[in-house]
Amino acid sequence: MDDIPGKIVENCSVTAGYRRLRVKLDRPLGKVSPGQFVMVKIPGREIFLRRPFSIYGSQGRTLTIMYRVVGKGTDALSMAVNKAPVMVLGPLGRGFTAGKGTTPVVVAGGIGYAGVRMLLRRLRGRATLFFGVTGKEELRMAEDLEGTKVLTSTMDGSCGFAGDVVTLLGQHLGDYRGKSPEIFACGPVGMVKSLKGLLDPYRIPCQVSVEERMACGMGLCFGCVVATRDETSPYKRVCKEGPVFSLWDLSL
Amino acid sequence: MGSLAVDLFGKRLKNPVMNASGTLGYGVEIEPLWSVETMGAYVTKGLSAKPHHGNPTPRVWEERCGMINSIGLQNVGIDHFFSRYFPFFVDKKCPVIVNFFGFSEDEYLSCARSIEPHELIVALEMNLSCPNIKKGGISFGKEASAVHAIVRSVREITKIPLIAKLTPEVKNLAEIARAAYEGGADGLTLINTMPAAIVDVKSRRVPIKGGLSGPALRPVAVRAVHECSQAVPIPIIGAGGIMDTEDALAFLMAGARAIEVGTATFVDPFTVPKIVVGLASWLDGSGCGDMSEIVGIAHG
Repeated sequence: MDDIPGKIVENCSVTAGYRRLRVKLDRPLGKVSPGQFVMVKIPGREIFLRRPFSIYGSQGRTLTIMYRVVGKGTDALSMAVNKAPVMVLGPLGRGFTAGKGTTPVVVAGGIGYAGVRMLLRRLRGRATLFFGVTGKEELRMAEDLEGTKVLTSTMDGSCGFAGDVVTLLGQHLGDYRGKSPEIFACGPVGMVKSLKGLLDPYRIPCQVSVEERMACGMGLCFGCVVATRDETSPYKRVCKEGPVFSLWDLSL
Repeated sequence: MGSLAVDLFGKRLKNPVMNASGTLGYGVEIEPLWSVETMGAYVTKGLSAKPHHGNPTPRVWEERCGMINSIGLQNVGIDHFFSRYFPFFVDKKCPVIVNFFGFSEDEYLSCARSIEPHELIVALEMNLSCPNIKKGGISFGKEASAVHAIVRSVREITKIPLIAKLTPEVKNLAEIARAAYEGGADGLTLINTMPAAIVDVKSRRVPIKGGLSGPALRPVAVRAVHECSQAVPIPIIGAGGIMDTEDALAFLMAGARAIEVGTATFVDPFTVPKIVVGLASWLDGSGCGDMSEIVGIAHG
């Protein structure tokens, strides 16, 4: 973990509402495990706290982030110009750990793709991605993914399965019988809840990347907790014990 | 070259910089970036006699000049802290101030009673700004008579120096400070966060009510330190929106013997070590001998 100064070298729209940020760091981020994140000090307009972002890609001194404009912080970030200075704290948290001899199945909802993209790259085509979005233009996000089988769902029915991604996964769950499937998911709370509903009878191993409002990003403030089934200490820090948890440990 | 060292309750701390309770976890989390012994002392997360789960989310919300938190005092409990985390500070020979709280007088007492004196424990910092269940939600820290009574009860059962951490949300803070002093407090920490709320215009709801921290609080805190350091003859630890060396100096000049850095660490995790270095270089160029010479210099 390090706090590294950097400069924005790219901040462009990928598709409606989704943007890609590239930062040239003064020093490399070091070893990153898929699912880890960074806290970014956003330049320009006064944004007091840093913002957490999944590490979309990290190569040498270049860090890539994919983000969606959802509030003040990401709105200000979307207006940051090239060469604007940023501070990047990371890599943070505990990421995904893929078991040996399992069949990896990745489930992403919307911008949740940013949280699993590094994992998909590391799995080099071993995984199938179930990718759910609202409309087909969002699918452009995953165009940079080569060699991975992608099954898509759109809520408006404009491409692939018409409906939500968990229903789509449900239709294919039988294909993985006897193949030791292992599920990795990142998406909105609603998606994670219905995923739990779908998988509950089978208890397939499933790791979920959780999102929460954060202040410090490194376990100092206990601001970003998620409720778990641990009765002695139910609230775990998303930034420190997470952001990746076993779906079966969460109290949803 | 002058010294940054300060004397606090008979112990010599290498500098006047500490963290505010609850903003540096259990101390171990910051280790990848810098070590706790950078500070004069580490202030623990608020501890209670029994572990406490804390509040549901959202627990934090950003404001333009600070943030609101509603962590709800989640902590592992006094016993767990001393078995699991205290050895880390012993290893590092890092002085510790133990922040603690209770929901009743009995809980304050059982907490304080369970902490054995140790050469590294500088003081106990009593959080007097949490809900008092016995009195129907009024804080212990809001009435002079209640402050006097609880400080005196705790004072009687421990040999460790006692600091009262006060809320500024009272009619007359100097009077509360005097009540704590007369009850037997050896020092004061000023100030805690202030009650605040957010209205989220998008959802038309209040997503969070909690304590406001950050630079928005700073002038309020400076005034509290300035006023109370002249009202009572005991050391004051200043806290509230300290973001850099200049802010720290302002608190020292207002009358604080030491300072606590809180929310700033979330903005820049190196704020504490930067202030330690900044104070040293300021002192070099200031013409003052030691740091302690500037404490209260703004009283005129």
